[in-house]
Amino acid sequence: MPKLNQFKIRIETGDPGMEGLVLFNINSHQIPFENVSGGTGTGEVFEGGFEVNSFAHSLALIGPKKDEWLLRKVTVDYECENAPPYSVEFGEVKLDETTELDIWKDPPLPTFDC
Amino acid sequence: MNFIKNIKNMFSGSGGELEETSPVAGTEDSPIESLVTNPEHPPNKTEAPVIRRVIRAPVASNDLFPPDDPEKVLIRAQPSTTGDQCLFMVNRPLLPGYSWWFPTFESAAGSPLTERLFSLDDVESVLIHEATVTVTRKDKTIFDWKPLGAEIGAAIREALEEGGDLIAETIVNEMPSEEAVRHGIQKAIDEEVNPGVAGHGGRITLEKVKGNTITIQMGGGCQGCSAADVTLKQGIHGSFRKFVPQVGAIFDETDHTAGLNPYF
Repeated sequence: MPKLNQFKIRIETGDPGMEGLVLFNINSHQIPFENVSGGTGTGEVFEGGFEVNSFAHSLALIGPKKDEWLLRKVTVDYECENAPPYSVEFGEVKLDETTELDIWKDPPLPTFDC
Repeated sequence: MNFIKNIKNMFSGSGGELEETSPVAGTEDSPIESLVTNPEHPPNKTEAPVIRRVIRAPVASNDLFPPDDPEKVLIRAQPSTTGDQCLFMVNRPLLPGYSWWFPTFESAAGSPLTERLFSLDDVESVLIHEATVTVTRKDKTIFDWKPLGAEIGAAIREALEEGGDLIAETIVNEMPSEEAVRHGIQKAIDEEVNPGVAGHGGRITLEKVKGNTITIQMGGGCQGCSAADVTLKQGIHGSFRKFVPQVGAIFDETDHTAGLNPYF
């Protein structure tokens, strides 16, 4: 697991949307995103990020305090130490007050054509 | 912003200290303690924290191969981080819906694709899973897969271009049902695997069966254990194959995001 310098997130919300602060959970600590823009209402796009500078043993997007939140698409851009930046796109998933979405992915392994 | 400093601050003192020093606390309206605990409840209450379940969403895969020449056989190799095995992704199906493990040269008899692969000197075992081939090599001191990868790529390409069956017909015809695989693997978990790992506080659960490919999850003391890889390969894997000899790829749920890192 590489050291995560920072990451940015882009959330496309479906129906239902979510009201309230968008929080993520890193190593069991709940923290709000920084440099946020947009929203998480139905059809809205939320963008935010965080400068971590540590190892993300766990990294998860926290579900709403109540009701449900449909995420149409979640794109995460990671910047890790000693690795080129990479992005991961997560497909549709619904969160509620009992769930959080795992948004950590290790950098892709190098490949070659043969 | 220094995340480590933030976390240290969270543990080090009172809410006032946190609010004063933590960069997360942006305004007086949103003090840090209300953000890092449960925003609905004031601090210093003895309510149990909300326990949330971590779920995973499907990961959209990028187009691995350019669609400009679908006739051409394209193969991309991805060595594992430990270097002991290499995954070869092919732009066409090899064993649709199923997987099969070939542990020895003899087990490859009758399967044109794997017969070709085992004719290469350094190939130790082969796992075919849908459109991928995972190979382990005999010489564990070599980490550069490019020379052998080129030979493996050529062998796969030759087998595909030759046409006909890639895998022995008997293997495909005798493939067990998903229900039979599920029943057998669950039996292995209940009777042999979990009693074995229970002493270490571990627990294995069967997450998914697709064809004869299974996905398991390691919990309890197994989770995060540095020996989990070895445990899987040497112990659990053996138990599964003893109970269900036709089981193919065995994925650990934590490595299953792209379905590309099977344990076998």
